[in-house]
Amino acid sequence: MLYVVLFFLLFSLLLYVMLGGADFGAGIVELFASRKNRPHTRDIIYRVIGPVWEANHIWLIIMLVILWVAFPAYFNIMVVYLHIPLTLVLLGITIRGVAFVFRHYDAVIDQSQFWYNWLFRIGSFITPVFLGLSFGALISGKIITLEAYPDSNFYDFFIHPWLNLFGLLVGLFYAALCAFLAATLLIGESEGVARNHFSKSSAIFTITLVLLGFVLLFYGYLNDIKFVRDFIENPIAILSVVISGILLFPLWKFIRAQRRIASRNMAGIQVVLILFAAIVTHFPYFIITADKEISLLENMAPQATITNLGWMLIIGGAVILPGLFHLMKSFKMIKVLEKS
Amino acid sequence: MENLDYARLQMAFTLGFHIIFACIGMVMPFFMVVSHYKYLKTRNPVYKKLTKSWLKGVAIFFVTGAVSGTALSFELGMLWPEFMKHAGPIIGMPFSLEGAAFFVEAIALGFYLYGWDKLPEKFHWFTGIIIGVSGVASGILVVSANGWMNAPSGFDYINGEFTNIDPVKAFLNPAWFTQALHMTLAAFVATSFGVAGIHAYQIYKNRNVDLHKKAFKITIIIGTVAAFLQPISGDISAKDVAERQPVKLAALEAHFETQKGAPLYIGGIVDVEKQKVTHKIAIPKALSFLAFGDFDAEVKGLNDFPKEEHPPVAIVHYAFQIMVGLGVVLMLAGLIYLVSLKKKNWEKNKYYWLLFVLMAPLGFVAIEAGWVVTEVGRQPWIIHQIMLTKDAVTPMPGMKYSFYFYLCMYSLLAVTVTWLMNRQIKALNQNPN
Repeated sequence: MLYVVLFFLLFSLLLYVMLGGADFGAGIVELFASRKNRPHTRDIIYRVIGPVWEANHIWLIIMLVILWVAFPAYFNIMVVYLHIPLTLVLLGITIRGVAFVFRHYDAVIDQSQFWYNWLFRIGSFITPVFLGLSFGALISGKIITLEAYPDSNFYDFFIHPWLNLFGLLVGLFYAALCAFLAATLLIGESEGVARNHFSKSSAIFTITLVLLGFVLLFYGYLNDIKFVRDFIENPIAILSVVISGILLFPLWKFIRAQRRIASRNMAGIQVVLILFAAIVTHFPYFIITADKEISLLENMAPQATITNLGWMLIIGGAVILPGLFHLMKSFKMIKVLEKS
Repeated sequence: MENLDYARLQMAFTLGFHIIFACIGMVMPFFMVVSHYKYLKTRNPVYKKLTKSWLKGVAIFFVTGAVSGTALSFELGMLWPEFMKHAGPIIGMPFSLEGAAFFVEAIALGFYLYGWDKLPEKFHWFTGIIIGVSGVASGILVVSANGWMNAPSGFDYINGEFTNIDPVKAFLNPAWFTQALHMTLAAFVATSFGVAGIHAYQIYKNRNVDLHKKAFKITIIIGTVAAFLQPISGDISAKDVAERQPVKLAALEAHFETQKGAPLYIGGIVDVEKQKVTHKIAIPKALSFLAFGDFDAEVKGLNDFPKEEHPPVAIVHYAFQIMVGLGVVLMLAGLIYLVSLKKKNWEKNKYYWLLFVLMAPLGFVAIEAGWVVTEVGRQPWIIHQIMLTKDAVTPMPGMKYSFYFYLCMYSLLAVTVTWLMNRQIKALNQNPN
């Protein structure tokens, strides 16, 4: 049953990174769009993401519940030492979520749209950055625990671990990844001017993503961040990233050939490979503090809990996944292009 | 005030905020499907319009409830890390089921919102039912987790360690049913009277009366039924608390000395120092009867328990009085509606509608008061008789700032949502198509 739980943990992580990410990315694409490109971006985002965005974000809650039920010691470190960035993540999720709904469901269309739009765009950008900052803090070896360093001050415990250049690079990398996913998704749902715009932003975000990836590895290596060193020295991780890079060429080919499904699958595979590389490097030691590496599997919940959770996830999955699939099939693949 | 007090205030404030949105998000889908059903039956476009405007309300409340719920699932850990570290593995079952129910709700909402004229009519209507049912299921599951804090079960507590964990037993703890029943009915009472009041106001102002009367009728019937069922569930709850948490019962009645044939106090001002309740109405032997079904039963007083285990007596007592009092008022309002079915000319009286306008917020006030009773009444424990709230709080200092941050954010959100609802209603009255 532990494997079932681990599977669902990684599965919901993956889906949150991809689906939630595409969702954040849509807002980032809109943020960086020029004034004349914003109206069509707004409309297409509503059509493509509207029916599914709420479901996309529930993967975060599923992940959270699995963490606190099955891996309470891990969850404990995250919520104690990452209190501030996680609060900021929540702020971002709240702002962009309500702004998205408000801008489409407000009965009156007036000046307030200006605020909804900006809150949605900015919220969509800062949320993945703060998620990245939090993840960066977990793996950077900068967290110091109250038990190990009882004399440190507030800044050392609760701010320095996440507020640093490495964390910021991880955050920006994830934001760029989100935008890359969203742009690829939106290309397939648009035509004419909008399509050209999304193709251009897709290219720009891809370049940004690759550059940030290099800077991140380089900076991490120079600054002796253990996770990055291990990543670079791990042949499987490097191989995955290289394959992911090479797949950019078929991706571009599919986009140009207007093969929507193939290009989406390709972008999906690329993200899976990047995530796989990051996980395979350090499994199961995902929290690296200043004095030790902590395994996900130590201090786990007792067997009875894991078994129960496993069954709940299987039952829940059996109910949810077909429904979700049907929802996506009904709305996301609206045949825009075939219609014309 | 200390860090702990601010953490508690923040938890109270965010929960209090979430509960309102969760209740509305849970109950409004039922109004929506009733109206939708009437539309499918009668093909009267007024019902379609009403359904769609309620649906917009559901969407706005759902998203606000969802984001504040996401915030809470983080906050449970961020504010009470020690609690979640130990309680998480024990009460994981309702939470994981709740995650699934919430997911189903979001999927169904996606279908319902975007399915007009795209899905087969009956399937589309059915997805509306699923929104409501999974919403209520979510509520019940979360309340069950709270029930466990009042009636911890499904583990052995030996030398400060939780062993022999049985997640199913923890889920079906002795308090889950009474609390879930009471809360679900409360959600129906509060939301029904709340929405009915809003429509009553529109009728009072003589705007689009045909539509608002239909809306009023659907909501007030549901509200009246729930309001009449609520005292039964309240009685079950009281008997349950009397048995499991005698100190909570003593606090909510401000009952200091152990006594046989204890009187029931209505209202009154509590003086904790002098252990007295002044300006009250006392009904002889009624407390013994309500708590144990026997006029001469012994009811334990606060003085039978160590002082450090007393909850804040005055707050709990006042909150309990408010909850019960408002429950009675809403029941009477339901009675007035029933009578008005016979006396048709009441409807022509403006004050009849004004009365229901005044009832609108009361159910929610009662819900907040009820949660104060159960949560403050459990203090100083976070897990009854197992873990103290002060031992569970985060080691991070500066919760003061966190509290003010949430206070500002949620206040702003509440103001915005209210303003949006107002705009929805205005738009509804302006376009009569």
